[in-house]
Amino acid sequence: MRERKGELFLIAGFTGLVTTLFLAFNWVPSVNINAFESPEAQRIFYWHVPAAWAAFISFSVLFAGSAMWLFKRNELGWKLHIAGSEAGLACGLIAVWSGCIWGAAEWGTPWDWQDYRLNSFALLTLLALFLVLGRRSQPDGVESRDTFATFGFYGFVLVPFTYLVTRIWVIRHPGPIIAGDDASSISLEMRLAFYVGVISFTLMVIGHIITSVQITRFEQRINRLQGIIDGE
Amino acid sequence: MEDRTYLSIAYIGMIIGIGIWTWTVVSRNRRLASRITAMEHTLKVKHDETEATVPLNDDIK
Repeated sequence: MRERKGELFLIAGFTGLVTTLFLAFNWVPSVNINAFESPEAQRIFYWHVPAAWAAFISFSVLFAGSAMWLFKRNELGWKLHIAGSEAGLACGLIAVWSGCIWGAAEWGTPWDWQDYRLNSFALLTLLALFLVLGRRSQPDGVESRDTFATFGFYGFVLVPFTYLVTRIWVIRHPGPIIAGDDASSISLEMRLAFYVGVISFTLMVIGHIITSVQITRFEQRINRLQGIIDGE
Repeated sequence: MEDRTYLSIAYIGMIIGIGIWTWTVVSRNRRLASRITAMEHTLKVKHDETEATVPLNDDIK
């Protein structure tokens, strides 16, 4: 049962994602058609923001794991570093991809190189990509772990920067619509669908982190068993 | 392209991506679990003996 806990979270999260999709298409009202170039494309918001939220959770796990490894040489810390970077990459890619889709429909271009929010979030995702690919191309050792953990630790500075940037410099990326000022309020249906999306992505990312930590533990056990076979 | 079609394609792309990612993680987890069971059975070692932390190399200590 313990080994299936991650899968239960994943199933619950995936079910919630499909539910969010259904709500976004069939239940949530459309936005003011005069306020948007492409009002229907706004429905991607119900996955885009929760995916970015899940990416921030993953990067927080990456930060905590990197710190645990760097300062305590904690094995669980290293497992959390791996899990956080993989989940951060996946959720970051979903957020970037859905943002590009919306940008192409609403702005007429999928990317704006002058917008701080877009570029700082892309940097975060690229950091996760570097950690995932770099770790797979290097032999596991203290030096390589220290290098990757240092990037994971200091790279976290981009998280609060990315969060605050739309409150400070609103260029092209819309400002906060949840927990923003009064002008940013949305209808109850929109809010409920949005929260279903947030809970689903949170469950999904927790499931992935639990499963990924377990995979790393299994890999280490296999190494140990292989050592017994090799007579070490 | 009609807005809803465009949006549906985007969502389908994402749900396929999430599905592949999830399935890869779950299947790897199951594969490793069954491999460990087989190895422990072959070597006749107890589960707890292989659960301990594996030292990376000597200089980690």
